[in-house]
Amino acid sequence: MLSVENLSISFHTDEGRITPVQGVSFSVEAGKTLGLVGESGSGKSISTKALMRLLPGNASLSPETRIAYRARDGKTVEIHKIKPGSSSLRHLRGGEIGMIFQEPMASFSPVYTVGNQMMEAIRLHRNCGKREARELAVEMLDKVGISNPADRVDQYPHEMSGGMRQRAMIALALSAGPALLIADEPTTALDVTIQAQVLDLMRGLQRDLGMAMIFITHDLGVIAQIAHEVAVMYLGTIVERGETRDVIRNPKHPYTQGLLKAIPSLETLHDRLSPVPGDIPSPTERPSGCPFHTRCPDFINGICDVNTPVETSPLPGRSVRCWLHNGADSGRSAA
Amino acid sequence: MLRFTLERLAGMVVTMALVSVMVFIIMEIPPGDYADRYAFRKFSGTGVSVTEADVAAIRSDLGLDKPMVLRYFDWIGGIVLRGDFGQAFAFETSVVKVIGDKAWLTLGILLTTLLLTYAISVPVGIYAAVKRGSAVDYGLTIFSYLGLALPNFLLALILLYFANKWFGADIGGLFSTRYQDAPWSLGKFWDLVKHLWLPAVVLAWSAVAYQIQTMRATMSDELNRLSVTAARARGVPEGKLLLKYPARLAINPIVSTIGFDVNRIFSELPIVAAVLGLTELGELLLKAYLDLDMYVAGAILLLLTFIIVFMNFVSDLLLAWLDPRIKLGA
Amino acid sequence: MTDATTGAPGKQEEKERQKRLKYYSASQWTLIWWRFRRHRAAMVAGTILGLMALLGVFAEFVAPYGPTTRDTKYIDGAPQIPMFCDQNGCSATPFIHGVSTKRDPVTLRAISVPDPDKRVYVAFLASGEETRVLGFIPTTIHLFGLSDANAKLHLWGTDDLGRDVFSRTMYATRTSLSIGVLGVLISFVLALLIGGVAGYAGGMTDNVIQRVTEVVRVVPIIPLYMGLAAAMPKEWSTTQVYFAMTLILGLFGWPTLARRIRSQLLSIRSEDFVIAARLAGARPGRIIGQHMLPSFTSFIIVDLVISFPYMILSETALSFVGLGLRPPTVSWGVLLQQAQSVRVIEQTPWLFIPAVFVVVAVLAFTVIGDGLRDAADPYSEAQ
Repeated sequence: MLSVENLSISFHTDEGRITPVQGVSFSVEAGKTLGLVGESGSGKSISTKALMRLLPGNASLSPETRIAYRARDGKTVEIHKIKPGSSSLRHLRGGEIGMIFQEPMASFSPVYTVGNQMMEAIRLHRNCGKREARELAVEMLDKVGISNPADRVDQYPHEMSGGMRQRAMIALALSAGPALLIADEPTTALDVTIQAQVLDLMRGLQRDLGMAMIFITHDLGVIAQIAHEVAVMYLGTIVERGETRDVIRNPKHPYTQGLLKAIPSLETLHDRLSPVPGDIPSPTERPSGCPFHTRCPDFINGICDVNTPVETSPLPGRSVRCWLHNGADSGRSAA
Repeated sequence: MLRFTLERLAGMVVTMALVSVMVFIIMEIPPGDYADRYAFRKFSGTGVSVTEADVAAIRSDLGLDKPMVLRYFDWIGGIVLRGDFGQAFAFETSVVKVIGDKAWLTLGILLTTLLLTYAISVPVGIYAAVKRGSAVDYGLTIFSYLGLALPNFLLALILLYFANKWFGADIGGLFSTRYQDAPWSLGKFWDLVKHLWLPAVVLAWSAVAYQIQTMRATMSDELNRLSVTAARARGVPEGKLLLKYPARLAINPIVSTIGFDVNRIFSELPIVAAVLGLTELGELLLKAYLDLDMYVAGAILLLLTFIIVFMNFVSDLLLAWLDPRIKLGA
Repeated sequence: MTDATTGAPGKQEEKERQKRLKYYSASQWTLIWWRFRRHRAAMVAGTILGLMALLGVFAEFVAPYGPTTRDTKYIDGAPQIPMFCDQNGCSATPFIHGVSTKRDPVTLRAISVPDPDKRVYVAFLASGEETRVLGFIPTTIHLFGLSDANAKLHLWGTDDLGRDVFSRTMYATRTSLSIGVLGVLISFVLALLIGGVAGYAGGMTDNVIQRVTEVVRVVPIIPLYMGLAAAMPKEWSTTQVYFAMTLILGLFGWPTLARRIRSQLLSIRSEDFVIAARLAGARPGRIIGQHMLPSFTSFIIVDLVISFPYMILSETALSFVGLGLRPPTVSWGVLLQQAQSVRVIEQTPWLFIPAVFVVVAVLAFTVIGDGLRDAADPYSEAQ
């Protein structure tokens, strides 16, 4: 239902042009979940913001970018061509694609009740009156597991607890009935127990409502629980993509392998955790060649730091950007 | 809400009590007292030589020989219990008569100025924040700097000059000569409205410059909030979005500084009034100071401060009403 | 050749590295200075203000005449702008036309008329009235004057008593700036004391001080100043009035800064480094001075700079209405007393030149304040 091809985003800043996202391609199937994984600064949030044209004024999409979305009425919307301020963009935002964020407190306006903000979204996208909108809002709050929804609907965000706010945030994003939900690290700011509850809730909601979902996180463990497919991002490019189970069992890219090793588990309880060595470089100092070569344990001198690897498919249903899987001759031909 | 209101009211009373002490001290500072000045004024030029005994008699007549603390309580008691602000010696009548409806004129000027200030600074500040870095934004910044740097009396003179040039001579003051001493009528009121814009512009000038900057800064902060992005992601139309989300919050600092703006306006009022020939409290205050007519000066200072304190109170209530996060009763 | 090409990038890199090292190891003040230097408007404002201060300090030398010297031959005279050419040709030294007095045929008043055939040359470092520069260096040399000692040069015209506006403005600059400095200093000391006690003691003391601060803040400031200024006895000397004015301005300028100091102190009172100092047995004065104040000195400086304009504007306003400094003292406000009516704009607009100084000084202080604030904010940017 959503296909993204060659998504590149540049920012014009005082220090010049920065391109934090380069040539990203992925697609989302109806009713399925795509997990986007990466460290902070890998460009995963920015990429999804581009899907809703929420980028700041100094950002621009490259001319090769294609973002096609097939709406529920069967028409295909070319998001990269859509005009800012147009009614089709307004319909897309919220009505077709919903979005939830990491910090529920900050994503609500503190001066309106939860119900007020939900009813606004409902009335923007569904043709209904005030009372009907209110009923829908209460129903939605109930669905996300908030007790006493009829009272909670008139509460201000600061009157709720953290976990409840995140539930309310999900209800708000879903209240207009989107077909695709983008969840930007929705569980990162929560306690572990509440994290599990929210994940459960989202899985259930997805099943019940038949939505597609893009789930952004830096935690591969969370991805394993919720995503059908996963795309691993590093410095603005997708380095590995495939079905979640396959990728986790048999990671091909050294970065994915590193991320998996960094997850604490019962078997490795007595060993030291092995984080990916080094720090993610700033987008202004993008390494030449493969962006990961500065931290890669299998770095091939003379190739990885010179040429950018192209996407290859070492296994069916898997794509990897890495010279280890490119074969020597393709490396030479690219050079 | 009731408890909150009562608490603020109590705070207001305490502040005013302390202010009255300070005002009274200021009234007492000038050398010599009311009796000296009264005697000097009454008998100077009449050829009668005034002796110490005469002055002492006047002094005890007026109760001025009592200790300062008692005199303070006499003064404040008169104000609170009888609405009696004492005697205006330069006019040989009571302070209340001298002030009279000038207080209402002052209030009229104040409210017009405030209205003008917010009507300009709020929308312009929002616009500047949205168009950050544009030529208009830079222009407004320069205007703001100038607004703060240009002394108000100079601005008054410049505007007066151009007003005289373009609209004729009868533009200064608050009324045309025809209506100056006429009783109140619709015609007089309309005449006042026609004269009010000039002082309002002069007095609003620096407040506008200041509040545009405040509004622009807070609006810029609010625009970057996640809640704005979240609302945008829900498909809220841009115009409605700006007003409902960032602007609604950015207005809070403006509301919380209403008292500060009133203070600034009253601070500038005496000088602007003197230049523009406004017959209201500011001008009277300046005159009273120059004549050392301290009862009149004290009364006006007290009145102006009372209005400021009251506006602070209003702004507190408004803010509590505007922002649900302020816990009422706490 | 090969050495040069490979050496260049290495050197470049080394330089870059040195630069970064210097940045990371620079002290807070060096960093602030570096950031401030990049703020071009603030640098320009600083230069202008520095020049103004110089003009004021060396007023005796810069001004060709004393502040009260009268030129009865040139009353209400227009500015005389030195020129290089006139109808009789050009000259390498700038000159002005001489003045002759005539009677107005209608009013019979004496008026001064420039005589286009009489040239008087401008001379630099000309000798003129005897004065004492900085109050103790006697000299007759002035920055500029006329070659003819009998004629007088009025760059910015004269007032109704024939006093030179340029010279008076120079002297006024000194008075007004120095009043600002003294006023700010007094209010700084008061703010430090009051805010320091409130912020360090907290509790009841803090409550009482907060109440008093509140009272000073709600009373409109200029009317308050006026009340105190009105109380100055008429028989006081100009020096007494001058110091009384600085005291009045300083006496009520402290609340904003005191609040800032108080809230900063309250917020860092429970920080570990302060508690550590207290446990080590340091006395309160030392804890405040050595440990607490330095952590927000930059904010205090910004606030001080920003409070200058208020001092200057207040002094100008008070003197303008006759409640501040009194003639023969000259300050910007005193000079502007002569420019109180629309008639002045029409007939002798040059009397408004001191107002330009007021605006420029206030603007300069504001811009510097903004530049300093940006520079002092450690989060403004990190490059």
